[in-house]
Amino acid sequence: MRKLAILAVMLAVGALAAWFGLPVTEVKAARPYEGTTIRAVVNAEYVKYSLSLVEQAVYDKLGIKIETEVIPLDPYVAKTLLEFNSGKSPWDLVMFGPSFMPDYGRHLEPLEPWIQKLKLDFFMDDIPDVYKKLMLRHEGKIVSMPYDGDVHIMFWNKVAYERPDNKKKFKAKYGYELVPPKTWRQWDDQAEFFHGWGWDGTDRKLFGAGASYKGNNYSYYWWRPRFFSYGGQYFDAQMKPLINSPAGLRALEEMVKTIQYYPPGVMLFESEEPKTMLIKGEVPFLFSWTSTGKRVGNPKESVIVGKAGFGIVPGAEIDGKIVHRPDLTPGRSMAVSKYSQKKEATMKVLELISDPEQSLKIVMDPKTIMDPWRNSHFKSEKFRKAFPGADEYLDAILKTFPTVVPDPILPGASEYMRKLSFEITEALAKRKSPKEALDSAAAEWDKITDRRGRDKQKALWGEKMSEMKSVGIEYHPDWAAKAK
Amino acid sequence: MRIGALVLKRKSWEPAAFASPSLALIAIVIVFPLAYSFWLSFRNFDLAVGPDSEFVGVANYVEALVKDTRFLNSIWNTAIIIGPSLVLELLVGLGIALLLTRIGRGRPIITALLAIPAMVSPVMAAMTWRMMFGVKYGAINNLGRQLGVIDVYFDWFSSPLISIVAIVMVEVWHNTAFMTLVLLAGLQSIPQELYDAGKADGADGWRSFWYITLPLLKFTMVVGLMIRLIDLTKLFGLIFVLTFGGPGGATETVAFSTYLAGFNDFRMSYAAALSYVIVGGVLILTLVFMWIQRYREMRAA
Amino acid sequence: MAIALDLPRAKSRSARVLRVRRGVGVALTWATLIAALIFFLGPFFWIVTTSVKGNEDYFAYPPVWLPADASLKHYAGLFTRSSGARYFTNSLVVSTLSMLAALLVSLPTAYSIARWRFGGGFLSLVLLVLRMLPAIALIIPLYIMYKQLGLTNSYLGLVIVYTVLYVPFAVWLLVGFLRDFPVEIEEAALIDGCSRLRALVSVVVPIIAPGLAVVALFSFIATWNEFLFAIVLTGIETKTMMVLVTSFTSGGTDMFYGEASASVVLGVLPAFVVAFVLQRYLVKGLALGGTKG
Repeated sequence: MRKLAILAVMLAVGALAAWFGLPVTEVKAARPYEGTTIRAVVNAEYVKYSLSLVEQAVYDKLGIKIETEVIPLDPYVAKTLLEFNSGKSPWDLVMFGPSFMPDYGRHLEPLEPWIQKLKLDFFMDDIPDVYKKLMLRHEGKIVSMPYDGDVHIMFWNKVAYERPDNKKKFKAKYGYELVPPKTWRQWDDQAEFFHGWGWDGTDRKLFGAGASYKGNNYSYYWWRPRFFSYGGQYFDAQMKPLINSPAGLRALEEMVKTIQYYPPGVMLFESEEPKTMLIKGEVPFLFSWTSTGKRVGNPKESVIVGKAGFGIVPGAEIDGKIVHRPDLTPGRSMAVSKYSQKKEATMKVLELISDPEQSLKIVMDPKTIMDPWRNSHFKSEKFRKAFPGADEYLDAILKTFPTVVPDPILPGASEYMRKLSFEITEALAKRKSPKEALDSAAAEWDKITDRRGRDKQKALWGEKMSEMKSVGIEYHPDWAAKAK
Repeated sequence: MRIGALVLKRKSWEPAAFASPSLALIAIVIVFPLAYSFWLSFRNFDLAVGPDSEFVGVANYVEALVKDTRFLNSIWNTAIIIGPSLVLELLVGLGIALLLTRIGRGRPIITALLAIPAMVSPVMAAMTWRMMFGVKYGAINNLGRQLGVIDVYFDWFSSPLISIVAIVMVEVWHNTAFMTLVLLAGLQSIPQELYDAGKADGADGWRSFWYITLPLLKFTMVVGLMIRLIDLTKLFGLIFVLTFGGPGGATETVAFSTYLAGFNDFRMSYAAALSYVIVGGVLILTLVFMWIQRYREMRAA
Repeated sequence: MAIALDLPRAKSRSARVLRVRRGVGVALTWATLIAALIFFLGPFFWIVTTSVKGNEDYFAYPPVWLPADASLKHYAGLFTRSSGARYFTNSLVVSTLSMLAALLVSLPTAYSIARWRFGGGFLSLVLLVLRMLPAIALIIPLYIMYKQLGLTNSYLGLVIVYTVLYVPFAVWLLVGFLRDFPVEIEEAALIDGCSRLRALVSVVVPIIAPGLAVVALFSFIATWNEFLFAIVLTGIETKTMMVLVTSFTSGGTDMFYGEASASVVLGVLPAFVVAFVLQRYLVKGLALGGTKG
């Protein structure tokens, strides 16, 4: 009797297993790479989080799991390049900043042969020119896809600007109307004006403006738009650094003079802290990455939903016209490592996470801090209605595209930027005068150029310089003095 | 140790054989790499440029000691962190050790509790304090605001001076226990009879401390200070997590700037040279320290 | 140092004054010690409570010191999303293996020094030199060598380094234990025909087992806490808890406060255990670098 019962149970279990097993085998057939795991490397928890948004789709459609390693931002470039330069890497999917393409490019697998082989579609026409130029190619070959389209735009808290009381006080003190700043002079005036009292109508002590001044990766992005709008450029045609020209000096001096109007902690602020202050209504304006917009519109943490304005970064008034030079910061690209053992699977993953639908998911989520980079992102109805003002926000980004300034995309880019950033924070910390700081930076830049091979750098820089000239960005030694 | 028949009975190869595993390991993992690194420091091996390098003599050392203001600056930073830390650790450690000798029950448990900070990794200490120093949500600012000491967030890393203060504070928190334990052991080894004798002569309280305790504790204090001094020259993990050298270069220590040279700029040879400059510096410091000690002992004799 | 009073005198006024003074002294002593305890242990209290706080509590002002609804969700998040389980395991594996290897290698060496005075006073010199050596001088050549040998991102590579770094300290402690060990017992074993090695293993080891445990625990903690070699020589599979903590340093500790504080709590756990277990040996341990990373 007992044996029969056991047999019956076993049969029942077997039947159930078979019944449940059938759909499993059906779906299995649709997952071509079932059981494959690829390894990705990214430079922040946010990026890892963003990949987690699409990992279900990656598994469902391809059967691939992604294991993501996070290396902190500060040593990221160094650590990844150290691995690559030794001829191998433990990663398949590599995230990197396209400004460092000259150093990463030769370690990345070109996409075109795989596009042919696997009939991949990366919807290349759906990428704006700005990102197409910057994020795809190394020595003419396509090696990566954009993942995060970083530019800087300006955000402001409408409450600060619309209160009649504020407007009266400002006009009385400065002599012109209180509107979101269009020039750096106005920016600095308003930072001074708003600092230290409750411009939102409460009696809290609020701050003047927001910025990220941490060395290594941030401070130089808050110096650069000033520097370039005062007519600056990285090097001249002979590869002599121009960062310590009067334009650079003026930019840094202004920053040093006004740092007192920024919140405490600004010296170590990275990307998120000033954004948090903006959306909590503690700073009235800020220019930063476009991902700020998503956080502005997120009712779970923002108190300024529907009360925020978006526009282009301030510029300098030269001969009656305002010259804007917003930052095109590295952003992020995704690529396949040349040393990967699982190139085919990784290519398919790259295709999937870059497609319009998955990438839209990533750039819309406020917790990912990834920014839109496809034309379809900007036109997406869903995105434009995601929060009040979203359409203004997306339009502001589009307006910024024509005048953006890229990083110095040369071999050793990361070193140039780091050393300059370091010296800028030295000046901001009042350990050096702005002139000493910029002169040190220029000397360091010469050292880097020599180590990488001066002639080679000069040639590569020549190309970049003419590219920038073709969109109107070039050195104007007289602007620093006459900019208003 | 009793030298019995046992000692004479050994086979002649046994001592070396028994010690050989560790000797071999030390030779391979420490001595050889150090020699290799020394050799490297006279070349210009740079991972960013390529696998080849050439002989450049003492160029790296000259650059480090004469031209590299950032490294020289880090030497200064290291010094101004070490100074106050040593003083505070000594004073606080001595204070706590003295207090501990005055309690009977509970001494072991309290000692163990106070020792815990010294047993955690510098990285963990730094992360804890980094969060506590947090400008908006950190424990310190919150406490300060709640008690009314400050009215708006205070940034501990806004100025170079305050950053150094913060680092010294974390360092003292982390390592005072060492001094406490060393001094406690020293205090406990002073025989009670000395105090009784001193009391008979009318010396007690402060005077017994000054004339009995302190002189007998001197050697222990010196040893403790020397060990801490050497440890402090290696300060790295704390900086890495707490400030990453900022603001500007205000908190870069010698170990940290060497790390940057090697693993950020990829200039391995230069970093090797820097590390030997550090080793040389520590050696000189130790010798000076010991020489001063001997000099004072001779004078006191 | 308290002054003993004879009872018959306790009734006089000066005796009472002295007693009050003594009472105040004791009170002050305890008050100061408690203040010291608050200063030294307070941060741990805060990091533990933070690791179980919810978002509303962390971002609240007035600050919430004791969260009402504590939850372990951050630990869960750390273990799943941030692969905390793997890193915790790595730390555990690396530290355990290093501890065992160090013991294995150090015991014979200590025996050699204790019984036969191998190397004269060489040991203390080696210890001092090693303590003076900044790890940074060693990490550069080791990194280059390990890259060539493919030992980066491997348990073996890390264990080798940790073992070697720890051996001198382990030897020092073991020499102390062995010297206290009565030679007669060994002699008895040898007379019975044991080889030296067998005598060591079957006779000495069981008796100095407590000493071995002390050395083992110290070496466990030292390797658990180690940071510089860990951050340079490990990769995605072999990262230790110490390296995990650094991944929260960028992006601001506010966004991921839960995982950051949880990783700290897990990272300091061994210290709490060891501090209690090894109370008597703490001085030696700390002095000779037994617990530093």
